[in-house]
Amino acid sequence: MNKNNGAGGFFGGASARQILVAVVFVAILGGFFVLNRLITPPDVSQSERRELAKLPELTISTLASGEFMDGFESFASDSFVFRDGLRTVRAASVFGLFLQTDKSGLYLGDSGAGKFERIDAESYRKAADKINKLADSLPGLNLYCAVVPDKSIYSGKYLPGFEPSEAREILSERLDGVKYVDITDALDGGDFYRTDLHWDQTRLDGVCAALYAAMNISPESAMPDGGITTAGGFYGVYAGQLALPVAEDTMSYVTNGYIDGASVSYLNARTGELEPGPMYDAESFSGRDPYDLFLKGVQPLIVIDSPNSRTDRELYMFRDSFSSSLAPLLTSEYRRVTLIDLRYLDSRMLPSLVEFKPGADVLFIYSTQILNNESVLLVG
Amino acid sequence: MLFSSDTFLYYFLPAVLALYFIAPMPRGSTSVRNTVLLLASVVFYAWGGPSYALLMLGQVLSGWGFGLLIDRWRGRRPLARAALIGSIVVGIGGLMFFKYTDFFIENVNSLLGLSVNALKIALPIGISFYTFQILSYDFDLYMGRTQVQRNFFTLATYVTLFPQLIAGPIVRYVDVERELHSRTHTLAEFASGARRFVVGLGKKVLIANVLGELVAIYKSSNENSALFAWMYVAAYSLHIYFDFSGYSDMAIGIGRMFGFKFLENFNYPYIADSITEFWRRWHISLSSWFRDYVYIPLGGNRVTAGRQTFNILVVWFLTGFWHGAGWTFIVWGMFFALMLLVEKFALGKLLKKLPRPVSHIYVLLCVAISWVFFDAPDMASAARTVASMFAGADSLAGRESLYYLRSYAVPLIAAAIGATPLPAAIAARLSRGRRGAAVMTAAEPLFVAVLLVLVTAYLVDGSFNPFIYFRF
Repeated sequence: MNKNNGAGGFFGGASARQILVAVVFVAILGGFFVLNRLITPPDVSQSERRELAKLPELTISTLASGEFMDGFESFASDSFVFRDGLRTVRAASVFGLFLQTDKSGLYLGDSGAGKFERIDAESYRKAADKINKLADSLPGLNLYCAVVPDKSIYSGKYLPGFEPSEAREILSERLDGVKYVDITDALDGGDFYRTDLHWDQTRLDGVCAALYAAMNISPESAMPDGGITTAGGFYGVYAGQLALPVAEDTMSYVTNGYIDGASVSYLNARTGELEPGPMYDAESFSGRDPYDLFLKGVQPLIVIDSPNSRTDRELYMFRDSFSSSLAPLLTSEYRRVTLIDLRYLDSRMLPSLVEFKPGADVLFIYSTQILNNESVLLVG
Repeated sequence: MLFSSDTFLYYFLPAVLALYFIAPMPRGSTSVRNTVLLLASVVFYAWGGPSYALLMLGQVLSGWGFGLLIDRWRGRRPLARAALIGSIVVGIGGLMFFKYTDFFIENVNSLLGLSVNALKIALPIGISFYTFQILSYDFDLYMGRTQVQRNFFTLATYVTLFPQLIAGPIVRYVDVERELHSRTHTLAEFASGARRFVVGLGKKVLIANVLGELVAIYKSSNENSALFAWMYVAAYSLHIYFDFSGYSDMAIGIGRMFGFKFLENFNYPYIADSITEFWRRWHISLSSWFRDYVYIPLGGNRVTAGRQTFNILVVWFLTGFWHGAGWTFIVWGMFFALMLLVEKFALGKLLKKLPRPVSHIYVLLCVAISWVFFDAPDMASAARTVASMFAGADSLAGRESLYYLRSYAVPLIAAAIGATPLPAAIAARLSRGRRGAAVMTAAEPLFVAVLLVLVTAYLVDGSFNPFIYFRF
């Protein structure tokens, strides 16, 4: 033993406690060090629904710029062995050890898991300005705006997030010639999936009724009789983000004579042509986001023609993902429903793609996540 | 590279520990192991800013070169002093350029109505710390308190030693001079270092970061209630303590694993009964640096009351300015200067007569208010928060403050208890006797394992993770 290793050598004089502490420390550091190299990380995190960071390319240029180091930090975290289990440990610690009521905004309430965030008033105002700009280009149409309330307000907790009255106040004050439709009271906590941010299509009769009332439509029924088909069980986006064991959700969809008789066309972004597709896409249900079952998820432009509708009215919906499940229900009252997602379609493209029919209805309907991040709306 | 990162914990540290302990010590020489530490430290530093690693090594070269000159001219005082001044000019010059240029431009613009563009120079990580270390070496050499280090690589190993490189403690060369050449490595010291490191990591990740979230929530909120302002002040006071003392614990712990014994940097500052005592317990390496290299050379206490006042004002102006290029930091420093002067010349005796809880509340209140200025982006913002704490809030409490009070009650209480010697006292009491020692033999390794896994879970889940003292 080296003379610089103390009088009794490196191991000399160490108590059992010290030996155990050193062994535990080295075993955990060394164990993870080895395991992280032995186990190939997955490309995708199913629970977080995202691609995991990959080992960045090592070059002189990426080293000099620091790009390699930044990329490596993300890789080290994303590729860590037992990542999902460790995320669960953290969540359990947040809620069970520190007794915190949320984890970076993620909470568990009466209506399941959710994430609250405050209204960004400035972003809301800018979003209203964009809506006003679009409204200016749509003379002679009946313009409405609604906000999909965040499910956190129905959580049974006094969460400091979305405030319906604040949303109404900001938008009503800012919107010009666009009627604000409040659908807050048309929903409750049970109308949303327990593990996802979206609402449950089978429970949207109240929302349809509130919209019809505001848009001067007198339906025979807000949700005409038909059937409900179960697509299957799923875990929504909050289940993965929360990383705690939660009960599985069930996704179902509505069918009736109007929906069954409708045809759906999707814009092919490559060809610029509309192509037929399904209203409910079972294949998408088994993909990364089961909610893509409704109108195939992310789509810049969709046209739903409903020959069996009770009126000849047309509706243009400027929308986000929530409308994918809402729009099929409106086929009973509208002959044609056109869905426009400005996150994926620049408004300057609209004149060449959509012919707005005078006297038709236009509904701007967005969730607070979009209104809080108005920059995603491509309004030129 | 952050200590509290997966990269450091599960890539860098295991690799360096393995290389270090595999490296031979021929005839007890630490030179090979020092080389491992030097290379590891350069990689550690370059990880956060490759280009500034050269600047750091250049500053080390300057300090080393001036050190040789100081030694060579030891008998010729004016020349040795010139060499010391040269070292100070290069060291402080670099610090001034990288840290304060834009501050001066901004203020000259304001004063003279000019519109000179700011240079927007990125602050090299840890420059304030390593500059002070280099200066302490040359100053101690000039004062004859230490021997010259002729080997550049040994001096570079001291300055760049990664455990303390970027956020202290400010380790002086004189304190580790012997260990650079000859140090012992024992399992007992390694275990002690490992435990200290893990405790520091826990303080940082499980407490400081969690309270840092509350601080960030307060700053992004529109609620102007007294409760929220007080929660913020309490959270920030505990956040900065656990952040910085946690980092110091990690530095001391890693140093111990490698055979170095760094001096303590914190000693339960929030139990102090006076501001004077607080500064004997908070960031000890910085306050003692200013005491030994500024205050005492200026004359210290052995001068007239007027001169002593001047000395204190200078030291605390510099202490504030060292922390950041902004008026809020200067106000923060001068606030402490004022409090220390008041204690020295007026209230010192009275404080000693007061019941401990009263003097304790006085310290906590003064320190908490000081942190408002320390953390504020500008004076107006600091003034708003202080006003909210006392009379200027819109309400006593609001929806957000009440919600977050409930959500952060346990972390706040745990942190408040953890900032006192109570947990250490309980652990010491539990260890007493044969039975206690047996229990602790199992409990301590278990504690280390649980803490390490918990910290890893927080890191893997990408929690909030800034280090306050990196910006200094």
